Amino acid sequence: MTGSARDHAIGRRLPLIDGPEKVTGAARYTADIAAPDALVGRILRSPHAHAEIVEVDVAAARALPGVAAVVTGADCDQTYGVLPIAMNEYPLARGRVRYRGEPVAAVAAVDAATAERAIGLIRFTARELPAYFSADAARAPGATPLHAGSPNNIQREVHHEFGDVTAGFAAAKLVREATYRCAEVTHAHIEPHAALARWDGERGQLTLWTVSQVPYYVHLMLARCLGVAESRIRVVKPFVGGGFGARTETLNFELVAALLARAANGAVKVELSREETALTHRGRPETEVRLKLGMAENGRVTAAACEVVQRGGAYAGYGIVTVLYAGALLHAIYDIAAVRYDGYRVYTNTPPCGAMRGHGTVNVRHAFECLMDEMAEALGLDPFAVRRANLLAAPCTTPNGAIVNSCGLAECLDRVERASAWRERRRQPAPGRGLGMACSHYVSGAAKPVHWTGEPHAVVNLKLDFDGSVTLLTGAADIGQGSSTVLAQVAAEVLGIAVERIRVIANDSAVTPKDNGSYSSRVTFMVGNAALDAAQKLRRRLIEAAARLLDADPAIVECGDEVFRVPGGQHEGLAFDAVVRAALGEAGPITTSGSFTVPVAYQGGKQRGGAVGATMGYSYAAQVVEVAVDQETGAIAVERVWVAHDCGRALNPLSVEGQVQGSVWMGMGQALSEETRYEDGLPLAANLLDYRVPTIQESPPIDVQIVESVDPNGPFGAKEAGEGSLAGFMPALANAVADAIGVRFLELPITPDKVLEALAKRRRELRLAAARGAA
Amino acid sequence: MTAAMPGFRLVTPRSLAEALAARAADPLARFLAGGTDLLPAMARGLVEPETLIDIGMIAELAGIAVDGDRLRIGAATTLARLQADALVARHAPVLASAAATVAGPQHRTAATVGGNLCLDTRCVFYNQSQWWRRANGFCLKREGTVCHVAPTGTRCHAAFSGDLAPAAMVLDASVEIAGPGGRRIAKLCELYRDDGAAPLCLGDEELLVALHVPAASGWIADYAKSRVRGAIDFPLAGVAVALRRSGDTLAGLRVALTGTGSRPFRLAGTDAEIGHGVDDAALERLDKLVQKQVSPMRSTMTPAHYRRRVAAALTRRLVRRLFAEAAQPPMRGGGATAPQSEMKP
Repeated sequence: MTGSARDHAIGRRLPLIDGPEKVTGAARYTADIAAPDALVGRILRSPHAHAEIVEVDVAAARALPGVAAVVTGADCDQTYGVLPIAMNEYPLARGRVRYRGEPVAAVAAVDAATAERAIGLIRFTARELPAYFSADAARAPGATPLHAGSPNNIQREVHHEFGDVTAGFAAAKLVREATYRCAEVTHAHIEPHAALARWDGERGQLTLWTVSQVPYYVHLMLARCLGVAESRIRVVKPFVGGGFGARTETLNFELVAALLARAANGAVKVELSREETALTHRGRPETEVRLKLGMAENGRVTAAACEVVQRGGAYAGYGIVTVLYAGALLHAIYDIAAVRYDGYRVYTNTPPCGAMRGHGTVNVRHAFECLMDEMAEALGLDPFAVRRANLLAAPCTTPNGAIVNSCGLAECLDRVERASAWRERRRQPAPGRGLGMACSHYVSGAAKPVHWTGEPHAVVNLKLDFDGSVTLLTGAADIGQGSSTVLAQVAAEVLGIAVERIRVIANDSAVTPKDNGSYSSRVTFMVGNAALDAAQKLRRRLIEAAARLLDADPAIVECGDEVFRVPGGQHEGLAFDAVVRAALGEAGPITTSGSFTVPVAYQGGKQRGGAVGATMGYSYAAQVVEVAVDQETGAIAVERVWVAHDCGRALNPLSVEGQVQGSVWMGMGQALSEETRYEDGLPLAANLLDYRVPTIQESPPIDVQIVESVDPNGPFGAKEAGEGSLAGFMPALANAVADAIGVRFLELPITPDKVLEALAKRRRELRLAAARGAA
Repeated sequence: MTAAMPGFRLVTPRSLAEALAARAADPLARFLAGGTDLLPAMARGLVEPETLIDIGMIAELAGIAVDGDRLRIGAATTLARLQADALVARHAPVLASAAATVAGPQHRTAATVGGNLCLDTRCVFYNQSQWWRRANGFCLKREGTVCHVAPTGTRCHAAFSGDLAPAAMVLDASVEIAGPGGRRIAKLCELYRDDGAAPLCLGDEELLVALHVPAASGWIADYAKSRVRGAIDFPLAGVAVALRRSGDTLAGLRVALTGTGSRPFRLAGTDAEIGHGVDDAALERLDKLVQKQVSPMRSTMTPAHYRRRVAAALTRRLVRRLFAEAAQPPMRGGGATAPQSEMKP
């Protein structure tokens, strides 16, 4: 299909197909949906970090004129959660509250002012319990458990060892250990959370419009928490303003909106403030990474031992997966035979953490790439040489059972080394300026879905009707990352038609097929393959019709540029519309369904939790960051960034570049300025003024190089592009800062106060050393 | 938590007298100009005015003009106008450079000179939602009795965070204030007091009308601001410096700071540098002076000790730079650091 002279739908720098609506403001997000009859929903949140609920007295709130419904934990005794094995959260707290901001009760009223008055009338009485805001405090002997069954507040421990780690360290020329601390960060998606629920009391049916990345999970949890059959629920995802993992799990406000709508027998809109969105959280946990590496004289890593402690927050959420990912993704980037991993996920009285871009790998990769850099320096090796000494040779199977079929990391290294003029610049250091580099990788979709049903992992339906348009129906949520565009490109490429002929509907459970949603960078790979399958089936139908009209063997009929022809034949070819009419003439509109399932061989090693981190295609990235450090103010400016990303075949290079640039921005935030912080469990930075996402002022020139390793299983060879570059940014920056001022920071973010502190400390040490030398 | 914007009555007086009368008639009224500080505070329940008096239509509060030997800047002048105004560029460019550092471009098209000079003090324990503050037991600045920044103390440590005040202070600016008793002129420094809970020496019924900037022949000035990001953020520390150079020595030096305590202030003791050159020892003395006089507390996400250090670092850097620039032949037609020309109508 590729390679012929025709116009191709893939490989094109195609602007996102839903771009015009967003640019003109025509796009309607959940909060924009006109629902004049909708009541206003508001949530009462716990002021306590950890307390036994004594009473939630809603009598006065219920009695207030204009209040249509009040719900509390008494209205739903079903837990929910993203992992079927760890659902321990209620939509509204029951028995206990475990973090400040946890929903306790909710009100639906005729307007916001009435709803707020009603919230103020609810009497919430609770008995305080000891509260823990750090993993260490929660794990300390004698600490009160947050949850039954987790006596030390450890939700999950992971202990994995592959190869002979002891022998690996013994064989090393240099062994080093360091402990890195990464602050908790959050997604800061620009659209705050919102949901609109409509309960049809006549039919006992619910429709929910929400901001979800995985409407399918929301659907399941609505059925569970409301005790309503799945067939009576419809979930619609309008335009979504970002997610970055925050909206992978079903979130409490979605369930609360539905509970309120049913209680009010009508429609209820719940719009969360920025502060409430921050309290709902599910971001990257505060993490302590203790890492030990052994390195041979040539830079080859002989063994790695890594201990990770994650402050997980008050509920299970995605925690087990996060702590497993952190260990699993020590593998599959370098060829390391001996790896030990000990992971601890800890319950604390802070908002629950969850999935966030680069789920699980980011903080561990930061530690790894920083320590590698430090050891390279100690051994007198170039940072690039050290990475090259450890490259994987694809195809291969890693010690933890992951299969790597394609790996373009070597080329990524070559590209950024060249583009940044690394060798020349490193030879001519400028004061206060530094260059650093790092590598990273990520999965193209988790190989095993968390809800194991045996169904295909992805399904796409295509509908071709009398008007000649092709409608692509998918349950994969486009949340701004451009997945609908890529699916349209895949289908158009197979069919040989213009992308503009395809309309994508994503998603509405009433019409779109079930999909596991937009998480773990799975859509391009998995749903792309399903779209490919559906399009091939539709193409066969069209080719057969064309062959009849052309009186030719279907095997030699081709379609390109919307013309069906026999290559080299006499006939000038048939227009797409003519073939559509012929194809529809037999049985009316054509619907084809394509699917994709990751084969069991790719679903990870046999160890407990071995499925996490396994995928059919790993993406790879290398990057170089140039910084300027102001030694008087401690400010770090990112001057330039070069990133090479191996995304297999780039189906849409423009979109790939956008994703990589977005990863750099997000990385700059975590590296330099972003951190949630809690004062006795109250978030100090639950707003976009104090939670400091970089602005366009901080944006450096970003040189994106696309490396196309062409994966044997990805659609047209494609792998993921949205996450793999992120994890390399923080260590590349930290390494650049070390190059600039000779200080290696063990904490993220590297804020100006830490820089000044470190410089002052070094001056003191130098003075002391000089004094000693003089004496 | 989400708070519905509370209801209020809006009045739009056409004259200063009407505005003052409206204010006198309603003790729960507040003057409204750009609203960039007041409206978010209302949404968070930090202020609950029943009436907003829109002062945007009052001619006397608008405009920038040379008036004798001073520049008069109406309090309702937007920061965007201040940034772009030719008279400001000519006579007081440091005001334009300070204005350019405030928030983002959209804010500056609405925010005003008066609003920035009268900005409410800020604190991580105060600029939070009603739910948050209640859960934290409120604070000394509003509804509570304890300052969470310094719980053993008796005063509020919220920080003044306006960028214009120090820039105007080093120009020795005054403010024109109208009230029920008529007009008064006060030195800008006297507008502020060191109390985060009541930072302005301005009567409830008084209104800032204009900023007066005297002619400053031979002075050269600029403003430097420390913040985490290049836009949006309030100052962690802001420093304005004005100096006059005579040969190889300082003939005048004024330094003012913001963001490092509950009030912006003129640094005391800078006159000791007059007659000296600006060498490392002089910069070190200034550094110590700044570190001694600023009083940052734990009112921001960024640690106080950093704000102290960076205030001193910015001062050193600005004095060094301006002293060097003052040796250059004067530039014509502006630039933030251009020597200011004589003001003559």
